[in-house]
Amino acid sequence: MAGITVRIAGANGDGVESSGALLMKVAAKNGMQAFGYRGYQSIIRGGHVWFQVRVGDCDEKLQSYGHTIDILVALNQDAILNQASHLSDGASVIYDPTKVKVDTLDATKCKLVPVPMLDIALQVSGDPIMRNTVAMGTVLKLLGIEMAVFEDIIKGMFSRKGEKIVNSNVQAASKGYGLEGLQSIHSIKKDGKSRFVLDGSTSLSIGAYASGCNFYAAYPMTPASGILHWYAAHADKGIFFKQTEDEIAAINMAVGAANAGVRAMCGTSGGGFSLMVEGLGLAGMLETPIVVVDSQRTGPSTGLPTKTEQGDLLFVMHASQGEFPRIVVAPRSVEEAFYITSEAFNLAERYQCPVIILMDLYISEHVETIDGFDIDSIKIDRGKVDKSNPVPTGRYKRYLYTEDGISPRAYPGTPGTEFVAPSDEHDEYGDLTSDALSGIDKYVEVRRKMMKKRMTKIETMLKNESIFAPGIYNEGADYFFVTFGSSTGPAMEATALLKDKGYNVGVISFSYLMPLDKEKTKEILKGRKLIDLEVNYTAQLAQVIMMNTGIEIEKRILEYDGEAITGQGVADKAVSVIQSFK
Amino acid sequence: MVIEATAKQVYASGVKPIWCPGCGDFGVFAAITKALTDLKVDKSNAMIVSGIGCSSAMPQTFSAYGMHSLHGRLLPNASGARLANHDLTVIGAGGDGDGYGIGVGHLIHTARRNINMTYIVMNNETYGLTTGQTSPTAAMGRKSKSTPFGSIEMPVNPLALAISSGATYVARGFSGDVAHLTEMIKGAIQHKGFSLVDVFSPCVTFNHDNTYEWFRPRIYKLEAANHDPSNLVLAFGKAVEDSQTNWEKIPIGVFYKVDKPTYEELDITLKNGPLIKQPLPTKEQVLKALEENR
Repeated sequence: MAGITVRIAGANGDGVESSGALLMKVAAKNGMQAFGYRGYQSIIRGGHVWFQVRVGDCDEKLQSYGHTIDILVALNQDAILNQASHLSDGASVIYDPTKVKVDTLDATKCKLVPVPMLDIALQVSGDPIMRNTVAMGTVLKLLGIEMAVFEDIIKGMFSRKGEKIVNSNVQAASKGYGLEGLQSIHSIKKDGKSRFVLDGSTSLSIGAYASGCNFYAAYPMTPASGILHWYAAHADKGIFFKQTEDEIAAINMAVGAANAGVRAMCGTSGGGFSLMVEGLGLAGMLETPIVVVDSQRTGPSTGLPTKTEQGDLLFVMHASQGEFPRIVVAPRSVEEAFYITSEAFNLAERYQCPVIILMDLYISEHVETIDGFDIDSIKIDRGKVDKSNPVPTGRYKRYLYTEDGISPRAYPGTPGTEFVAPSDEHDEYGDLTSDALSGIDKYVEVRRKMMKKRMTKIETMLKNESIFAPGIYNEGADYFFVTFGSSTGPAMEATALLKDKGYNVGVISFSYLMPLDKEKTKEILKGRKLIDLEVNYTAQLAQVIMMNTGIEIEKRILEYDGEAITGQGVADKAVSVIQSFK
Repeated sequence: MVIEATAKQVYASGVKPIWCPGCGDFGVFAAITKALTDLKVDKSNAMIVSGIGCSSAMPQTFSAYGMHSLHGRLLPNASGARLANHDLTVIGAGGDGDGYGIGVGHLIHTARRNINMTYIVMNNETYGLTTGQTSPTAAMGRKSKSTPFGSIEMPVNPLALAISSGATYVARGFSGDVAHLTEMIKGAIQHKGFSLVDVFSPCVTFNHDNTYEWFRPRIYKLEAANHDPSNLVLAFGKAVEDSQTNWEKIPIGVFYKVDKPTYEELDITLKNGPLIKQPLPTKEQVLKALEENR
């Protein structure tokens, strides 16, 4: 299988993350593909952390972060203890013999690469932190990547810190690169392209920015904080970011802002989404277009804050009391996060309802090489907006009954279209029918009509949009993984691995999950041998499919240990599942 | 209370509020109407935001823009509106359960941000619309449906809380004195920064302790007592005078007023103008944002 997997492991504070980021950059600038994922804990210093970078040929996009380690950089003893079981056959283990013992490793199954990291680091800079730079030099040599690329990147990264820092980094890496007897053992195809390195949070944020979302409100919460950091860092670019006192304030500010006429978004993880639930219903009732991001992590409750899961699907589909139209989307790749976020704003404003973008830690935080975005494809549709009162002599009917259920809205500040957006049930003007009028025949009818008006928007969106059904890959396959969102990449990769074993497997994958076009979805699923693949315990997507189509997917691969799934891991489990089909 | 016919025509929606005859909230409605009229606030630029409770009928009585939001969440909703378009005159109007109970956290944080808006709290020491339970401002010993043996909790002091949280205009009015209340609200709207106007707005149905008659002999006006609202220490002193005198002396008026930069003036984007009027990014700017990741 394509790709060489490098895992740098040590403690927080050892420079594990910066080394991983550096390696991603080297691969991306050197015309290769790369895919990185970080294993970390809720601890700021110490603990055991790793960054895994899979580097692959230029002509094949990597779909997951690699199953076993081909090159391990062990920055401390824990790295040997914790990572030994993940080594591939013949893996290289880079370690500092003055600090780390490797006698527990089976030397016949791996290649030991002792590197006096600390000695070199102290020699070139006097700073022990430089030892991971020494190790990076050794990694580059093993990967067969020229030092020149590395030097360029170091210059770019550290030029502000002065020539001395640049030089000692280059020296440290060169010494690790030029160790006596060290041979390149890998050869990776490259083209002349310089690629971008993005995580899902950044891709989503740029997608929102490109689509005119200039209002983002959030409370810090892993793994959604990447969006917060992006918006905060770009707040001088004519956009507005507000860190709020809690997620309740975040969603209510977004509703207030969206009602006032800007494109507004808020984001959090499952715990914060729990606090946002009432505000979500407010957006549903006011028919205010907002975009809400739930980047899922391992639950329930505080769960595993730094680990991934797809456990919130049913929650976000059903959160809040009562019934109202909403749209739930889940990007299937870092790249798709850009486009689907842009579409989320158009859908929110076209149908005046909340749109939930279901991310997870894995897609929010893993990094990939990306060729670029087609920015010209981004179109902004703000939906039906009245610039004046269509009935100039009358009071404005913000909630006008219409055939498609969509009433034109108006931005506060516009003369003649004054209205109150009400959380209680209301008539076409927005006047409350809840207090003195509920139960009176005329207003029983208003309730019926207004409820129907809102709910009709679901039919309208299903009629007007062709997106509410899964995509299918390898249509002629014998078996299909059925999955959604971030599990799609590993599923795709697994199909390639299974093909080598003689199994013809395809993928049916959802990025639009609510509402669903029942007939279309049924058409795609029916009569096929299906294997449900999800990162949760209760097969939530399978439940959604059952509810919408009556099709029960009995074969399942469900993971809920918090770790990101890989193509190899999925393929390994799929073999026995495939064999169990009669 | 008398609402001038012209003002009523301009600002009243004609929607009848749900308030009981004699409810203090009528006085607040009259005072807001008069304040908007006197200040010639353009109703298409006015945004009145409520939470939930009897007080939440307020936005509907006006023909301006409004939001009838969630219980306790009017301040984030109002903040969102103001931050999105700070050409709007934003007035929050809620109750004491809404603002000092379920939503009190937002009061602290909205105050410290000094967002330029007005927050009027119709304080009746009661949960009225849920038929008379004890609210966070009810005095100790208060008997109600939820405290049949008397409340054993200290009441919230909204004025001291707002002052210590960074509100830059803190006043109190009485809906039995619409002329004075109008001045409080006008001062709040004109003030550049976050303004709290706490209003004694008697609940004639469920609170038989704190009636108009109970308030009248106890209330005195800070303006007449030569209070210096620019003095923070004196402001705190006046803010606690009611409970310190066992509710024998209850000051109303402007407790505290200070000029400080507003959130809109300090924010790196909003200081250039309302968000809604700012240009969206060009293709080049988006590409630049992408380029940072190379």
